[in-house]
Amino acid sequence: VRDLYKRVIVVGKDYPKGPDYVREKAKKWFFQNKDLSSERDIKRAVATGRAFIRDEMIAAIQLKKYRVMRERYKVPEEEALAENRTKS
Amino acid sequence: LHANLHGVVDDPLHTDKETHCQRNPFCEIAVEEAVRMKDQKLASEVVAVTIGPTQSQETLRTAMAMGADRGVHIKCDQELQPLTVAKLLKAVAEKEKPDMVLLGKQAIDDDANQTGQMLSALLGWSQGSFASKVTATKESLEVVREIDGGTETLSLKMPAVVTADLRLNEPRYATLPNIMKARKKPVETMSPEDLGVSIDTKLKTVSVAEPPTRQAGAMVADVNELVAKIKAAGFA
Repeated sequence: VRDLYKRVIVVGKDYPKGPDYVREKAKKWFFQNKDLSSERDIKRAVATGRAFIRDEMIAAIQLKKYRVMRERYKVPEEEALAENRTKS
Repeated sequence: LHANLHGVVDDPLHTDKETHCQRNPFCEIAVEEAVRMKDQKLASEVVAVTIGPTQSQETLRTAMAMGADRGVHIKCDQELQPLTVAKLLKAVAEKEKPDMVLLGKQAIDDDANQTGQMLSALLGWSQGSFASKVTATKESLEVVREIDGGTETLSLKMPAVVTADLRLNEPRYATLPNIMKARKKPVETMSPEDLGVSIDTKLKTVSVAEPPTRQAGAMVADVNELVAKIKAAGFA
């Protein structure tokens, strides 16, 4: 569980909404589950957490980064298309 | 292919103490390509190189977390021009003797797009810049380049310098377990003097300015008003 929290915080550093937002949400999240006692429930919660990091957080980070880069560094054809759109 | 491939990670932001060094996205793509070649057993070793202040070591750790085997940190607190960077990388390449040097096509701070090309000229190696696809065979590297109006495919003899364009790949995200593993990988630190390169620059930045803010457009009620405005502006 501690490892999961660390992972969330580390990924949070790159998260578009910022590390503070991530820390707040993560704390809330973890405390909501603090009374889980069976090993199966705990394992399942940790697995959900890991999947969330992988499928939601990292995906959001990568998407934002490459969207920004694609916007900044348009290929000449893309730029011409974009210009035509603003003209019309 | 027995190759030492270098993903070069160039750290741009040095001047502002409050700004954290940022990983250059194009260099991340270069590192990713190198690691993919290692995954495909086309390369035997990936060495990541960075030039910058102490903070750049973090970038190196990220490259190693992505899969580079070891890191080389050329410690330098001064902002460097592309030619100096190319000379430093040449010194490293002559020491390491890789089959391929991979760099980002440009750094997002100066957008110079010069280092890779200069490096290839200084080394006398083949060059494949703006690479959007790299295929390695035993004898050569096939590089598809993004150029105005389309693509160009080159077959390069190794050793070669390749610079990565945006569409070459999408780099993996280095997760915590890999970052922890990367801490154990070796990093060699050296100074420009150790490599025999002078960091004196003949270029001086005179000014940096933001582009002028775009003027808001004006809405017109009808064609007559549009024509009147065009005439008033002197275009009719």
